[in-house]
Amino acid sequence: MADGTDSGFSEGQPSGPGGYSGPISPDIDPLNITTSTVDLEESLDMGAEGDAKSTRDDITALTQSSLAGLRLDDALASDVHDLFVTVDDPEKHITNMESYITYRVTTKTTRSDYDSHEYVVRRRYQDFLWLRERLEATNPTHLIPPLPEKHSFRRLDRFSPEFLKTRQAALQKFLSRIVDHPTLSFNENLTIFLTAKELASHRKQAQGIMGKMGSSMRSMAAGYMLKNRSPEYATMQEYVNTFGAKMGTIDRINQRLLKEMTDYQQDLREFGPVFTLWSNSETELAPAMLGMAGGVEKCEKALEQQISDQEHVFAPPVKEYILYAEAMKAVLKRRDSIQMEYELTIEELNRKRNDREQLKMSDQSYSLGAFLGKDPEEVRQQKRTKLDTQIEELLKQVEVSNDSVECANADLKADLERWHRNKRRDVKEVFSELCDRNIQYYQECLSAWEETLQEINQKSELETASTLATPTSSCPATPNLATPTSSITPPLPATPTKDGTEGGAGDGEKQ
Amino acid sequence: MADAGSDSAQEVGSEASTPSSSKRVMSLLSVLEISVTEPERRTGVTAINMKETYTVYLVETRITDMKSELLPETFTDETFSLWRRYSEFELLRNYLCVTYPAVVIPPLPEKKIHMMWQKLSGGEDKFDPDFIERRRAGLESFLLRVAAHGQLSQDKIFHSFLHQGEGWKEAVLATGYQNKMDSRLKTLNAQFRLKNPDRRFQDLKNYSSELEANIANLLKIRERLAERLYGIHKIHANYGRVFSEWSGIEKEMGDGLQSAGHFMDVYAASIDSMLEEEDTYADALKEYLYFADALRSICRKQELLQYEVEKLEDKLVYLSSQKQQMEQGVDVKSGFSLKGMTTKLFGADTPEVREKKIKQLEEQIQQTEEQLQAAKWELSTYIERSLQDVERFKRQKVRDLREIFINYSIMQIKLCKKGISLWNNTKECFTKM
Repeated sequence: MADGTDSGFSEGQPSGPGGYSGPISPDIDPLNITTSTVDLEESLDMGAEGDAKSTRDDITALTQSSLAGLRLDDALASDVHDLFVTVDDPEKHITNMESYITYRVTTKTTRSDYDSHEYVVRRRYQDFLWLRERLEATNPTHLIPPLPEKHSFRRLDRFSPEFLKTRQAALQKFLSRIVDHPTLSFNENLTIFLTAKELASHRKQAQGIMGKMGSSMRSMAAGYMLKNRSPEYATMQEYVNTFGAKMGTIDRINQRLLKEMTDYQQDLREFGPVFTLWSNSETELAPAMLGMAGGVEKCEKALEQQISDQEHVFAPPVKEYILYAEAMKAVLKRRDSIQMEYELTIEELNRKRNDREQLKMSDQSYSLGAFLGKDPEEVRQQKRTKLDTQIEELLKQVEVSNDSVECANADLKADLERWHRNKRRDVKEVFSELCDRNIQYYQECLSAWEETLQEINQKSELETASTLATPTSSCPATPNLATPTSSITPPLPATPTKDGTEGGAGDGEKQ
Repeated sequence: MADAGSDSAQEVGSEASTPSSSKRVMSLLSVLEISVTEPERRTGVTAINMKETYTVYLVETRITDMKSELLPETFTDETFSLWRRYSEFELLRNYLCVTYPAVVIPPLPEKKIHMMWQKLSGGEDKFDPDFIERRRAGLESFLLRVAAHGQLSQDKIFHSFLHQGEGWKEAVLATGYQNKMDSRLKTLNAQFRLKNPDRRFQDLKNYSSELEANIANLLKIRERLAERLYGIHKIHANYGRVFSEWSGIEKEMGDGLQSAGHFMDVYAASIDSMLEEEDTYADALKEYLYFADALRSICRKQELLQYEVEKLEDKLVYLSSQKQQMEQGVDVKSGFSLKGMTTKLFGADTPEVREKKIKQLEEQIQQTEEQLQAAKWELSTYIERSLQDVERFKRQKVRDLREIFINYSIMQIKLCKKGISLWNNTKECFTKM
């Protein structure tokens, strides 16, 4: 399934609405499902939720039958999805300074906070990067989906059609996941991204680099210093680390496989022609040899397809999940740092409270204030007031901080649950797809060799039957010499014909 | 280039000349089973008193029809076995080559590894089990082919190879075949400039070169393919391992991943038996690689014989012209002749001397004519017999090669079916997740 939007992901659960990502551009739509666009537009004009739902059921039915490539990202029955985004139509732009690719991002929505029902803008990879940074900055407690990597290493040509196709699909998935997220989809940066004619001016907004650095340093230390971190977060951390590592391993296995398979294909390309060349020296065996050559060639073609699928259909989702693991590590860190702040605040509070206790019993006669001529009791009172204020501030901060922590935990939990669900579905689909490709490869090879066998056997029916092994022979180890062969010609009944076809029975044929 | 060797006239003609010809000649193989098994290591002492280790093979025969006329008289036991080592096989083959020059003698498996790509697969060591096994198969094939050949299978030395434990080597040497061999071997290496090379044997020579080149090429590439395929399958074992590890951290997906990992391991292991089977087909093809050499030696022998004939013809012409000159020398009075000059200078031969010389020449001419007749007869017989056996060889070749291709295709089909079933099983692990 090498369609443009989702590399290898087939549709999800039909029950309930999901993040239908919009119609696919006809250019990259092998299943030719653009007819669905019309229905979709009509359905979107309906405002009522109930109507939208029934239309969604229609859409879902349509999806099931013909839109195998589209992905319903979220199976939560309670979500309402009224925002649909598509990424397609890569275009190359060449300026004096650089050349780059933009993609067309089409948005269709019924939301009231959008001025119009439909938007079409062009965005380049940098714009997606910007969006992701903004989302992370404004939603630190949420798991932000990953973007594909900036550079592809296997193909040095960043304008090759396969690369663009793969990237487009990844960008599509990125946006779909955001749009399906109950919180992120309402983020104003997303709105800007989807609607603004030109993004450059927005991008120039201060991104708070210093703030970012500061927070990242804090978050690095946070994990180690947390006192009250619930063990479930340690478990999560471990899981994410191991999961990421396993995905990395799978990716490396893929790369190795690709290399070996490519080498194997090269050799196969040489193998077939040897049979063809040999057939020139033989008359009787020529058809059999050409049959062998044909079989090998067909297998080579099947392998070519398999290699392409392995690279373009199976590998990208694996890479994406590696990046997802990184995103998860990041959000776990951020959660840790929020908890860290909370704990620091509490520590501070306790320190101040302690100070206040100490103050009651302390002798202020030797304090600085007394030295300057103030009454020690007054000094005590002043300090006491100051501490009280601080403590009150801190109490407020603690409450706020506590809220933050609870929110962060809740957000994270929800996101992770969603992520686990989606991951399971993705793994099912991606790996089933891989199996399907392999099955198809073997099926093509099977029919190729069955055909070859037929071609080889065809001639043999004209030969002496007794000296041949039938196709069901089980032990072909040595050449068949079990039946007697004569060194002396039996009486020759027929004259041999020139073109190698046997005129008569018996083994008087040439070669 | 297609070989246009014989035509029907040849075959019909040959029928009459070969002994024991009947409609369909049964050979020894139809009443006797031969197998080569159980390679064993032995140590012994060479002729120059040095210690050596070598491998012996058990050659077993079993008679399937005790009453058959085809059985040699010496074969009395229903089953019989004895040990033979490679050098004895070689001796047998050399003997057969010399004794039956017009026959395409089946080849032996190689003595040493001479092709680079074989070295890589570990076949260099002559005690490597894989090498020994493949050699064993080749030796068995050799004996079976000899036993299947109408003429060769009746040879006494061959019979005693199968049934004479002691003293066989001495018996072979006693035949004196080496004498025949030496004189011919020397000349066999030379190239012969023939005035009228026989078209049929030229074609045969070209054909054998092409056969050799094609098979060598094929074997080289198939070796590479085998290595790659092996690599691809073994990499899947890594999938097996990572799935298994991954299953440890998953709850719902754990079982599915675990089973999938198991199937990946099965897939990785499945290639071993297939490649072993493929090796046997490669070996069968290699036999024909060596057969090409046997074909070439047939051509060389023909060239040698024809060369002899042409040489004698030339000699005859020379002698005849000598005689003519001698006779003319008596009557020449006018005109320049060298004989005339030398006669003037050194004195002419007396009539008696001249007579004697002429008589000598006539004798020589007679002798040469007889020799020429004999050589011509030898040549034509050889051509007849060899071409006939070449035809037999070709028919056998077609059968053998076709069978190899059939078996190879069947093996591929089996492999594909296994692959389909395995990936289906793996898919199920995921869809049920």
